[in-house]
Amino acid sequence: MTGTPRAPWPLAAAGLVIAFLALLPLLYLVIRAFGAEASAAAFLLRPRTAGIVTGTVGLALLVGAGTVGLGVPVAWLTSRTDIPGRRTWAVLTAIPLAIPSYVVGFAFLAFFGPRGTLQSILAPLGVDRMPSIGGLLGAALVLTLVSYPYVSLATRAALLRTDPAIEESAQLLGDRGLSVFRRVTLPALVPAIAAGALLAILYALSDFGAVSLLQFDSLSRAIYLQYGASFDRSLAAVLALILVVLTLTLTWGERRLRSRAASYSSRSRRPPTVVVLGRWRWPAVAFLTVVSGLALVLPVGTIAWWLVRGVNQGEPLRLVVDVAMGSFVMGGVAAFAAVGLASIVALISARHRSRLSGFVETATYAGYALPGIVVALAIVFLATRTLPFAYQTLGLLVVAYAVRFTPQAIGSIRSGLEQAGRGIEEAGRSLGDGPVGAFFRLTLPALRPAIVAGGALVFLTVVKELPLALLLAPIGFETLATEIWDAASSGFYARAAGPAALLLVISVGTVAALLRAEERAR
Amino acid sequence: MTDSDGALPPELALRTWGLRRQFGDALAVDGLELDVRPGEMLTVLGPSGCGKTTVLRLIAGLDTPDAGTIEIGGRIVSGPGCAVPPERRRVGMVFQEVALFPHLSVRENIGYGVRRAPDRDARVRELLELVDLPGAGLRMPHELSGGMQQRVAVARALAPRPDVVLLDEPFSSLDAALRTQLRVDVREILRAAGAASVFVTHDQDEALTLGDRLAVMVQGRVEQIGTPEAIYGEPATAFVATFVGTANLVPGEYREGVARTRFGTVRLVGPASEGAGRGLILMRPEHLEVDVALDDPSGADTWRVLGRRFTGMRIQYSIASTDGERLWVEAGHAVRRLHVGDPVHLRLREIETVVFPAGGARPEA
Repeated sequence: MTGTPRAPWPLAAAGLVIAFLALLPLLYLVIRAFGAEASAAAFLLRPRTAGIVTGTVGLALLVGAGTVGLGVPVAWLTSRTDIPGRRTWAVLTAIPLAIPSYVVGFAFLAFFGPRGTLQSILAPLGVDRMPSIGGLLGAALVLTLVSYPYVSLATRAALLRTDPAIEESAQLLGDRGLSVFRRVTLPALVPAIAAGALLAILYALSDFGAVSLLQFDSLSRAIYLQYGASFDRSLAAVLALILVVLTLTLTWGERRLRSRAASYSSRSRRPPTVVVLGRWRWPAVAFLTVVSGLALVLPVGTIAWWLVRGVNQGEPLRLVVDVAMGSFVMGGVAAFAAVGLASIVALISARHRSRLSGFVETATYAGYALPGIVVALAIVFLATRTLPFAYQTLGLLVVAYAVRFTPQAIGSIRSGLEQAGRGIEEAGRSLGDGPVGAFFRLTLPALRPAIVAGGALVFLTVVKELPLALLLAPIGFETLATEIWDAASSGFYARAAGPAALLLVISVGTVAALLRAEERAR
Repeated sequence: MTDSDGALPPELALRTWGLRRQFGDALAVDGLELDVRPGEMLTVLGPSGCGKTTVLRLIAGLDTPDAGTIEIGGRIVSGPGCAVPPERRRVGMVFQEVALFPHLSVRENIGYGVRRAPDRDARVRELLELVDLPGAGLRMPHELSGGMQQRVAVARALAPRPDVVLLDEPFSSLDAALRTQLRVDVREILRAAGAASVFVTHDQDEALTLGDRLAVMVQGRVEQIGTPEAIYGEPATAFVATFVGTANLVPGEYREGVARTRFGTVRLVGPASEGAGRGLILMRPEHLEVDVALDDPSGADTWRVLGRRFTGMRIQYSIASTDGERLWVEAGHAVRRLHVGDPVHLRLREIETVVFPAGGARPEA
């Protein structure tokens, strides 16, 4: 690595402030949890606490097993077989990742739940009660359906990178068919599969929307209930800390597995061999149809069904537009701020590599790895104690978003900076620009696509975000996410359908746009 | 793997005849005949896209021929109504992409094909010694250098004692210095293991230095097969002459084993030398010697130096005559270093060479 100059002090100071802000929730949580020392130990030993932790672990295990069970076959079918419509299936099976969990949770509730779509359809047959969709199994099902693409995408990438010569070697050394798959293909995929499954589990652990709509007491819902119901909010901090330890451990594990998966991949020149499915092709198509049916068609169909019903019953769509405008403005401001913060971090890490840059980067990413409900809770604590005037203002919410989602914009801006290089800036200097002038006149315009991409990502994430909006938004201010959550948890499915439909369009549209950009880049 | 029937060693480790493979309209392998003797290394040299890799994949059973027969260790493994699957062909293969199993240690990679053998551990140790990696058994493939990985791949292919080892341009992804060293190493390893092998390459250095015999392949056919010396000295066709080594093809007339060219008379060898007529006579750079032209730098016999290349032992010069003909030649021992544009005279050394008769008639090999 060539030496890079030290960051000028205003830049370094700004970086440190961002790092401090990103770590603040975590720091405060630790202080708060240990502040509750007297009751914390007893609280931890309470059977209910143990039940919540066991339930959360159970959810993690079910989602892990479910996403592997769906994701690996999906990956294999869409990358290594002659299944009809392979490319289309690859796209369709990836889309659920973009749909917020609470939208799918709402759809399942509105379909299977009491007074839901299914019951309305079955009512003429005399069915007047539905079995509950909620609880552990319902939550695990919904979270599996939205997070299995983590496994299928990671596995698919690994399968496409596998050198066909590896399987051929196994065959020449005496293995055939299934035994090649079992002894060579599959073991070589294990790190990629496991990394994907850990991401899915992390998603499930951090998820707040689906578990709370389906009323399953995982840690994140328990944190919310504890925060709302109890006098001693420190106990919520204790639960939050347990969740933080769990997620940070898994994040660390995922990083290690990902680097192992990278060392397993080969630089193949030949495309992977394609397995002819023969008479298995229709069962395979049926499998993908069921997966996409549950993860995509059922939510879309149910939401459409309730939307039409709501409009027919005079549900005012005007409200949806108002809520959407509020969400978009908030998302736009947050994205703008996040891009500014991300540019500072990216600039430090790309141009001034040092211990300081390493620290600033790690700190921002650590804040990002925390579950949303935990960050929301910590900010509520902090604000009520130290900044009571800021509590429940839009300003605080936007700052929280900007700090939390900065890492989403860092990646693209940093690679943009690395691509632009110092060359153009130095050329500008040699033609008479000062250092600051050269940056603003030359480097910044060159970075525009990267900045727009990073900002768009933050914008979309903020628009879909639930727990921070729920805990921090001013009373009376609804976002698309809180509107769905409020309406759905009170059983007003038709009212939730409008914002849910809008979020579906945004999510699916994003994936489509990304895929088209990728196609064009190729 | 279990069919060691204890019969007499076969005369040929590998034989193919009439082998044909077509991809759409392209004939990748067209009536190919090959034979490899036990313990011999046959190199197959050809331009890229000539079907070399397809031949290996057909022999290994990774691809199915449209016609023809393959016999390995005296047993027909592919032919009319017969297709032994790859896992029962007793063939080892070393791939260009190395293709070690990424999730298995070096030891487990080498032991993969002998996992049911009672002497598995001893065999693995023996092979680790053979490829000179005795301490690397517990390491993972991604921790090894490219050269070490390829040695492990060779050991893995040799472990089940295959009848023939196929090597598909195994060194082409390595840098030049490593390639030269590994070439020597792998030759030694295969010799020590007594394994018959087919080595496919598009690098003529590799082909000339490595194999006991060399097959030059063009458009799915073997153009010529023989020792590297024979192929260099008496190429069967003009293509082989230009593909293996540097060749000047000089027009001339020939009769009764003697050819007359503008540079003088040469004696001919090879099957075409008995005939008579016009043809192209092969002259290697070492057949032609240049001297500095002092007397008449504008005469009809004066050539001018166009360029120069150093081959490690000699300097070869590219020269051109006034009528535009170009040749690659060597400088006489007494000649000082020549520069571009220097006028030179040409002298034919006393040689025996071959003729390629005009009209494209192919001499029978």
